[in-house]
Amino acid sequence: MNDSDPTQVKRRDFMQLAFGWCSALFALGASAVAGARYIVPNVLYEPDQRFKGQKPEDYPEGTTFLSDIRVFLIRKGNSFRAVSAICTHLGCTVNRGADGHGFHCPCHGSQFSDNGEVTSGPAPRPLSWLLVSLSRDGRLIIDASQPVEAKKYLVI
Amino acid sequence: MLQRVWNAFRASRVGRSIFRVGLPASNLERAQVAISSFLLHLQPAKVHKRTLKPSTTFGLGLISLYLFLILGVTGVMLMFYYVPATDAAYQNMKDLEFVVTAGRVLRNMHRWSAHLMVVFVLLHLCRVFYTGAYKPPREFNWVVGVVLLLLTLGLSFTGYLLPWDQLAYWAITVGTNIAGYAPLVGQKLKFLLLGGHMVGESALIRFYTLHVIVLPGVVLMLVALHLWRVRKDGGLARPDEPAFVQQELAPGQLPTSKTYGLMELARGSTPAVGLAPEDVVFTWPNLIFRELLLFLAVVAVVLVLAIFWNAPLEELANRVHPPNPAKAPWYFLGLQELVAYSALWGGVVVPGLLVTALVLLPYLDRRRRGLGVWFARERKVALTLFTVCLIAAVVFTTIGSLFRGPNWSFQVPWKPIPAEEQAFH
Ligand code: HEM
Ligand code: FES
Repeated sequence: MNDSDPTQVKRRDFMQLAFGWCSALFALGASAVAGARYIVPNVLYEPDQRFKGQKPEDYPEGTTFLSDIRVFLIRKGNSFRAVSAICTHLGCTVNRGADGHGFHCPCHGSQFSDNGEVTSGPAPRPLSWLLVSLSRDGRLIIDASQPVEAKKYLVI
Repeated sequence: MLQRVWNAFRASRVGRSIFRVGLPASNLERAQVAISSFLLHLQPAKVHKRTLKPSTTFGLGLISLYLFLILGVTGVMLMFYYVPATDAAYQNMKDLEFVVTAGRVLRNMHRWSAHLMVVFVLLHLCRVFYTGAYKPPREFNWVVGVVLLLLTLGLSFTGYLLPWDQLAYWAITVGTNIAGYAPLVGQKLKFLLLGGHMVGESALIRFYTLHVIVLPGVVLMLVALHLWRVRKDGGLARPDEPAFVQQELAPGQLPTSKTYGLMELARGSTPAVGLAPEDVVFTWPNLIFRELLLFLAVVAVVLVLAIFWNAPLEELANRVHPPNPAKAPWYFLGLQELVAYSALWGGVVVPGLLVTALVLLPYLDRRRRGLGVWFARERKVALTLFTVCLIAAVVFTTIGSLFRGPNWSFQVPWKPIPAEEQAFH
């Protein structure tokens, strides 16, 4: 190898580049990725979002608040629906309107219609409707992690 | 008697090994003490006379630093009793308040210093802006400062959750949901911050770790960098002094006005270059004693606040019922006020633009005119823009803090809130 030829890469420089820098960068990058992944939890110890309630006939006509999962269960005759009480603005718990209609949020004053649509205030999305189903032993199951399209009732 | 003991100690081998210079008696020793002591060498041996004038900085940066130190000491003391677990934290706070000797005062000191630190860092920022002290060569130190401001807010915010009362729980719920509005990364960011979907055990331990080690550690290192840069950028900003800066030297000719040692060589307008000797004074005792006095004053004020006013502790966190209204910490209430109109604007666009503008400011406004002068006339445009933003921030924060009652409805602060409106439905 010609020492004075500037276009030639010296063996030692090549080795330094290939093994030294590349492995250093690789080690750094791999630790960064692993570190970032490390702080994303794999298991969550959060309360179950599925709630097993009573038999349908045990719920009174009108609204029942299921505080465990922050959901309104609303019965009208033999149809049941569940509306999330978590405000879509910043996550406060909404209240049922004083006259039993609509919902309103204490935090920044969002108002929602009976179907959960936003009627005023800063909330960007309607309140979610949630999946209501029956368990084998005939009790209601409300799954707060399963939004369904609005106007989906469980009819017994 | 004390004097004799001290002298004997100083003269002993041990004494000499610790204090290399001792209390200085001559000018030589005054310079030596500033250079050879670990703490004091943050400062040059001599400083410009302007540094001593209160109106140069009003000591605002220094007060921020002192508050940070008080927070460190009181925070470590609180750690001896506090357990970051959702079923223990609130009880520990009650213990600190009613059982632990001096626990209440320590907790109060920690809380009030935290609020004050946010206030004083902001005031310090305003001081630096209004004196044009971010202009070259201090652009980078301004950026370090902006990062320190964000870290200060982060420290305060992470600390807010730890008492696990209603205030804590819902302020963090509302605050992290604001983060969730950031485009693309928002929801991920919120999940990472909380270590889950809701404010719970994993959020508490995350906030705790950030609050007691990660953020203070980073702040400590950045403050060291910040202070070092103040010195290396030539001491506190001051107007150029044309008579000396423009002194022209023939090739080979040495400046005649002054000699200076190696340790005083720094780039740009160093504390010593181009100065008449009568403009500088010894750091010890002139600056050191003023700094100590200020420290005592800060400790005294925080102590008085802590003894006479208790930090609030509301009921135990209730993850079903928010207090009405649910408010974020006060320094975020301006944003929360905006969020009440639009979450995207208040939560993402406005704060994003503000931080970007702050970081870019020294690189956009580079002219040295008005450097080191309060409200310099040459800076009309910059002064006006900044003042408008400042007033807007103050107005929104005031509305959010004082004029918002239940359901975020407009409310005058001097009218009591009817009890039935405060109650949960
Ligand atoms: C943890 C927060 C901070 C601490 C402890 C701190 C501390 C200090 C101290 C002790 C000084 C010396 C002069 C003085 O006392 O005013 C200083 C100067 C300075 N600070 Fe800060 N600071 C902080 C945050 C900030 C912020 C938020 C900014 C601006 C965005 C900033 C920008 C500057 C600049 C540019 C200087 C040089 C000023 C001059 O040369 O006149 N700092 N800081
Ligand atoms: S959280 Fe419901 S309106 Fe803001």
